[in-house]
Amino acid sequence: MKNTVRELRGDQGWSQAEMAERLDVSRQTVNAIETGKYDPSLPLAFKIAALFGRPIESIFDPGE
Amino acid sequence: MPRFSEKTYRRRVWLAMTAYVGCMLLLWPQLHVVSGPVLKVALALLPVVPMLYLISLMWRRVRHSDELQQRTHLVALGVATMVVSALSLGAGFLAAAQVLVLRGDILIWVFPVILVCYDLTRWWVGRRYGVMGTCEEASRFPVYLRLLLAAAAIALGALVFRHQVDERQFDAFLGVACVVAVAGALAALVRWRSRQHHDGDAS
Repeated sequence: MKNTVRELRGDQGWSQAEMAERLDVSRQTVNAIETGKYDPSLPLAFKIAALFGRPIESIFDPGE
Repeated sequence: MPRFSEKTYRRRVWLAMTAYVGCMLLLWPQLHVVSGPVLKVALALLPVVPMLYLISLMWRRVRHSDELQQRTHLVALGVATMVVSALSLGAGFLAAAQVLVLRGDILIWVFPVILVCYDLTRWWVGRRYGVMGTCEEASRFPVYLRLLLAAAAIALGALVFRHQVDERQFDAFLGVACVVAVAGALAALVRWRSRQHHDGDAS
């Protein structure tokens, strides 16, 4: 699943560690989500969406 | 939920392992000397105490992990359970058929084998998510160095307390030191390969 988490985080000027702290996850998890190696659970996806004030579907793209 | 940091976990694991090795080298050999069933049982079970502490640390670590970390822990524990179950079942049937002679104290090795399988699988699964390596890079005291130091400490302890342990226990300690040293060498190789890979990406 593709996502725009890295771009959104960059726009906010946060480091991975700062974003991880805001989401209460590890920095490695943020990195795995950004690189598309890990698809977050629905609750975490909602948390990410709420953090950036955007709907989930504008951040995560299931693709084909 | 506040994170149970990897640094705290590792520091406490080393404490538990030091207590365990200390018990095995200093107190356990006294089993041959003490009389009385209560004292004998207490002394025999003494090394279990730091291992129970280690299990409680593992529980805390999993409980305080986030969802990705919990997934890797779960897969690793599942694989470790399957491997040890298969080995125990195979060995048990061979022993029942009297093809293989097994002593009861082989049960001591069940927990270490679970831990080794658990750590190897966690490393393997973590690689898939790009989780491992980054932690290793961040560490100022890398894993391979810790393992090599632990191997040296166990071997040194066995040599220093040689007169307090019997030949079988002495061989067992040297065997454990060799296994830990090999694990350290493997960790060093993985680190070196990972660095080569990163250098290749950077250039």
